[in-house]
Amino acid sequence: MKAIVAVFAVLVLGASPAWAVLGQYESSVNLDRQYLRGELREEVRQGYKLHEITSPDGSIVREYVSPAGLVFGIAWQARVMPNLQQLLGSYFTELQQAAQSKVRRRGGPLVVRTDKLVLISGGHMRAFHGRAYVPSLLPKNLSAEAVR
Amino acid sequence: MTPQNGSTGTLGRFLGVVMGLVVLAGCGGSTTSSSNSSSPTPVNNTLALEVNLGPANNSVDMAFASVTICVPSSSNCQTIPNIQVDTGSEGLRLLSSVVTLSLPTITDNSNNVLQECVGFADGSYVWGPVAIADIQLAGEKAASVPIQVISASPSFAAPSACASGGGPDDNTVPALGANGILGVGVFREDCGAACTPASSGVPALYYLCPNSVCQVSTVPLASQLQNPVWLFAQDNNGVLISLPSVPAGGEASASGSLTFGIGTQSNNALGNAQTYTTDASGDFQTTYNGIAYSQSYIDSGSNGLYFLDAATLGIPDCPDYPGIFYCPASTVNYTVTNTGLNATTGQVSFSIANADALFSNPNFAAFSNLGGDNPGSFDFGLPFFFGRSVFIGIEGQTGPNSAVGPYWAY
Repeated sequence: MKAIVAVFAVLVLGASPAWAVLGQYESSVNLDRQYLRGELREEVRQGYKLHEITSPDGSIVREYVSPAGLVFGIAWQARVMPNLQQLLGSYFTELQQAAQSKVRRRGGPLVVRTDKLVLISGGHMRAFHGRAYVPSLLPKNLSAEAVR
Repeated sequence: MTPQNGSTGTLGRFLGVVMGLVVLAGCGGSTTSSSNSSSPTPVNNTLALEVNLGPANNSVDMAFASVTICVPSSSNCQTIPNIQVDTGSEGLRLLSSVVTLSLPTITDNSNNVLQECVGFADGSYVWGPVAIADIQLAGEKAASVPIQVISASPSFAAPSACASGGGPDDNTVPALGANGILGVGVFREDCGAACTPASSGVPALYYLCPNSVCQVSTVPLASQLQNPVWLFAQDNNGVLISLPSVPAGGEASASGSLTFGIGTQSNNALGNAQTYTTDASGDFQTTYNGIAYSQSYIDSGSNGLYFLDAATLGIPDCPDYPGIFYCPASTVNYTVTNTGLNATTGQVSFSIANADALFSNPNFAAFSNLGGDNPGSFDFGLPFFFGRSVFIGIEGQTGPNSAVGPYWAY
């Protein structure tokens, strides 16, 4: 009989703050970066600005900012499902309403299409990916495909 | 751990780091892999696989097997039927309502029991403690394996981050559509190095809850949930899932097999199967209409062929399942090309039928042509397995022709 001895390090996280990013001003990106403890890379693209936050665990969150300074889209690649309550802010309720009604579909991706929010969540354990955007906040002449 | 790039100051909620010792109750977690140099006495390496309506009588395209668990190093065992076989996850997760054994748990040195929260892509999640059990699948055994006990009445409420996918908890048989999940995907553990103490950033997966306050915890590899197959003494380099063809209109049930090992016995030879290695995420590339989609995967735990979207394909969603299932007026055939990291390329053909028509017989549970939306990606769910033999090579394990997992072969 051999006991396995191992060491745990515990991260102490406080109560989840009421972050709001999608639909908020660009300054909220920095709150996300702090929450994700990631490195931020900024890139100005045709018609929008991209903030890419890379966390120490390798997960990536991209936030898309319109010329009006509002975050109109987010995208992610992560080992575990990201905290969408934090990333979606007030749009989280749109996701909740869609995700709570499981109709025959199981274990697969989730697609939400409402007037207020479009969200696609897919992938599998250790490799989740997805994106979300607010149709009414998309910059003019920009395809939603830019959010990926 | 300290926040990186804290240009606006260290956040108050990162209160510090607590170190603790963990002793696994139980015994002998020997995890040696067998080598091919000696030939062990073959054991029964085949488990029956059944696609049917499942224990809640509400499932379609889910594959079930029976799993035997034992109190470690004892003959105190329990066989639990209707466990979903899932190539999209790693580890055994059982609903607490179906576990009658009293199993030891993994704790820290303050006796806090390790907890886990798993969020799924569909927004739902499972939450519960990590216990230790011997696992028996057919004649194969893995000793002292961490498993999750999904709890409807947990000792600690799930942390709010656990429900941050927006979906419901899958902690009952009707919600899960199964008594548990047997994850036999391409990885050894459900998290890997990112969750270990050596990691510079720890995903929110494992928790400890001292004083009922749940905090993200690091976990050594051996204490994470394990794909039990790689812990077997033999037949430990992967699995083979075989399901028969089903009629175009579906049928009530289909019987196949989950076979352990690849090229280790006469019943799991690769034969003509092509090997497609995956990237570090377990994904490969699927090309349709000249466009390559790089985040594609095979997931027996997805109950449909979920790929692209109605606009891209030019077929309608079902009016009653918008964004969920496709309802073409007549069945549509597709041919796509899969490409592995090793540049192996091959075509896959499948059909998509009208989901409303398939569901018109409420007794049917096995459909090879059920599909729905997944914009920008391909999720080859359970229908992909009908009429095929699909091999899943586990990371770091060597298969035939010196192929090292993670890979798929079919």
